[in-house]
Amino acid sequence: MLLIKNLTASINGTPVLKGIDLEIKAGEIHAIMGPNGSGKSTLGKVLAGHPAYEVTGGEVLFEGRDLFSMAADERARAGLFMGFQHPIEVPGVSNSSFLRLAYNKKAEAEGRDELDPLEFDDFIHEKIKLVAMREEFLDRSLNEGFSGGEKKRNEILQMAVLEPKLAILDELDSGLDIDALRVLGDAVNRLQRADRALLIITHFPRILETIQPHYVHVLSGGRILKSAGKELALELEERGYDWVLEASAAGGAR
Amino acid sequence: MTSMVVGSNLLVDLLSGPRPAEWASLREAAEGRLEGRDLPTTKDEAWKYTDLKALAAIPFGAAPRATVDISAYLLPEMVGTRQVFVNGHHAPHASCASAVPAGVRFLPLSTASEACHALGSVKNGLTPELFEDLNSARFEDGAVILVPKNLKVALPLHLLFLTRADAPVAVFPRVLVVLEPGAELELVEEHLGEGTYLSCPVVEVRIGEGAILRHERVQRESPEAFHIGTLKAEVGRHGQYHSRTLSFGARFSRQHPWVRLAEGAEGTLDGLALLDDQQVADTHSFMHHAEPNAVSHQLHKCIVDGKARAIFNGQVRVAPGAQGTDAKQQSRNLLLSETARVDTKPQLEIYADDVKCSHGAAVGQLDPEELFYLESRGLNADDARNLLTYGFAADVLQRVPVASVRRALRQLVMARTQAASLGVLA
Ligand SMILES: Nc1ncnc2c1ncn2[C@@H]1O[C@H](COP(=O)(O)OP(=O)(O)OP(=O)(O)O)[C@@H](O)[C@H]1O
Ligand SMILES: [Mg+2]
Repeated sequence: MLLIKNLTASINGTPVLKGIDLEIKAGEIHAIMGPNGSGKSTLGKVLAGHPAYEVTGGEVLFEGRDLFSMAADERARAGLFMGFQHPIEVPGVSNSSFLRLAYNKKAEAEGRDELDPLEFDDFIHEKIKLVAMREEFLDRSLNEGFSGGEKKRNEILQMAVLEPKLAILDELDSGLDIDALRVLGDAVNRLQRADRALLIITHFPRILETIQPHYVHVLSGGRILKSAGKELALELEERGYDWVLEASAAGGAR
Repeated sequence: MTSMVVGSNLLVDLLSGPRPAEWASLREAAEGRLEGRDLPTTKDEAWKYTDLKALAAIPFGAAPRATVDISAYLLPEMVGTRQVFVNGHHAPHASCASAVPAGVRFLPLSTASEACHALGSVKNGLTPELFEDLNSARFEDGAVILVPKNLKVALPLHLLFLTRADAPVAVFPRVLVVLEPGAELELVEEHLGEGTYLSCPVVEVRIGEGAILRHERVQRESPEAFHIGTLKAEVGRHGQYHSRTLSFGARFSRQHPWVRLAEGAEGTLDGLALLDDQQVADTHSFMHHAEPNAVSHQLHKCIVDGKARAIFNGQVRVAPGAQGTDAKQQSRNLLLSETARVDTKPQLEIYADDVKCSHGAAVGQLDPEELFYLESRGLNADDARNLLTYGFAADVLQRVPVASVRRALRQLVMARTQAASLGVLA
């Protein structure tokens, strides 16, 4: 599904990603953990096509296609989704209109039928049940005045509407209360299928108890220093990151 | 008429016609102040960004009566609550007030003699702008709206001022709105037309204690028109006045809203201007916190494209003793071209100490982070840009209470922001 080879990227001339290698296959769930500022969000935004980041080297294949030959919106229509750590507020554009527009753009790209407002109404009501969102949030402006947790819920609603092949969820769990974490974790699990994949960026093992990863990677200083199974998350929780960094410096953590 | 020494042809032309008979003292006072005055120039501080030379060069004549088909301009909820004026004259066949509730007076001025004394009674203590005096001296007709005590009018009222001229004409619509204590009303005031003309409306509003007026003002004059409007609203204790002025048309438009808030009153002066080509839209507002504990909101937004220019000067005065004032003012401007221009300036005069006054001004382009967010959901760059531009404007319409009015206004905004093809409203 996604193959990242020796990816390097910088922002404003400062290198942030310093050689990332990662392969995510269909059906897999990967988690990335790592200290603040290590480049986790950067990796997600580079994959999603944020224009502020410059890809300085390496290659990424998404479903066999050169990801960097596609604009951000093409990547989205091809099935890549990024759930943002800090979703943007867009006043004046109603949430439901935006969701329908995004849905129809993707449907159009895939040669499926677009939904008219009435059909979309039925469709979206099923989806908001999945993320336990109250209906009034559909009529509000996109993310405007939403609390941190409500924005995250809206990100997963967008994911549920777009049904991406690969979803990168950046700190879905930060800002969520305990119930919301469970509801959204379950929603993400229900959206996961054998032909889809997930990349979960997080600081906390708790969300990984619901969305159980096959692999956990430690990203630090723009490199993946260690990859292991899901037990690594708990080990990191107990021991912190220093031992990984030290072992890596000694050349042993891999 | 009185002899006048005025320098510009415009004023001579406009005042050379006969003075209408009614409201003689109002007209005489206005003429007296006009004597010796000339059009403002860019040397006047309040007009320094707005050059009226083009206006002065046009020979405006009196506007003839005309009949027009107004079916395209009717709003569904206001079919039976509308007064229509064509070229400044009341158009009885185009008007229909059959659904106006009993007790509410909603009449053309020319038939509303009881309004004789109230007209011109909203005084703000400032020397009237020249264009306000021109209106007082020469208005032909307009509307008077009186809502009795405690009556909450369910249907919105619609005022339509249409100007259609083969040769340049000047029109002076006049409106008086009086809400007695506890009354509530929703009013839509619309100005539109075709051809070259000058429209100089004056709207006077008096809101009694605890009364509420919601006032949508839509300026979509012809691209060759000049629109110079005055609004004076006096809000009684705990009354509310909420207005939104939407400027789409006119090669040159200028708005002079003035609001005076009594104790505990609430005032909103929101504005939206969508400008392109060589359009100029100028707003000089005045929010007067005359008494304690009043609240005011101002959100003024402009989208400026081509070589257009937007000017906003927002004066807020907190009078001595007006403690507990809460005044908010925001001027936000979106520049869509390199040659577009915005001049925005808050002007706060605060003579009380226990007050909350906030203001902010921003001029800029679309936010790249917002564009990326939409693109990351599959919208191409053009669609993302158009949707954000639409959203920037539609933000001002969110609080329009009547659904059909909100929808109609959104459609106007959509047509002007290339967002129509997105079908976000269907
Ligand atoms: N616009 C920018 N200009 C300069 N440096 C930047 C910019 N944006 C990000 N960076 C830097 O890039 C590095 C990686 O940031 P990134 O957001 O990817 O970290 P992160 O791993 O997601 O951290 P966190 O866990 O706090 O979310 C940080 O050192 C950050 O300061
Ligand atoms: Mg981050």
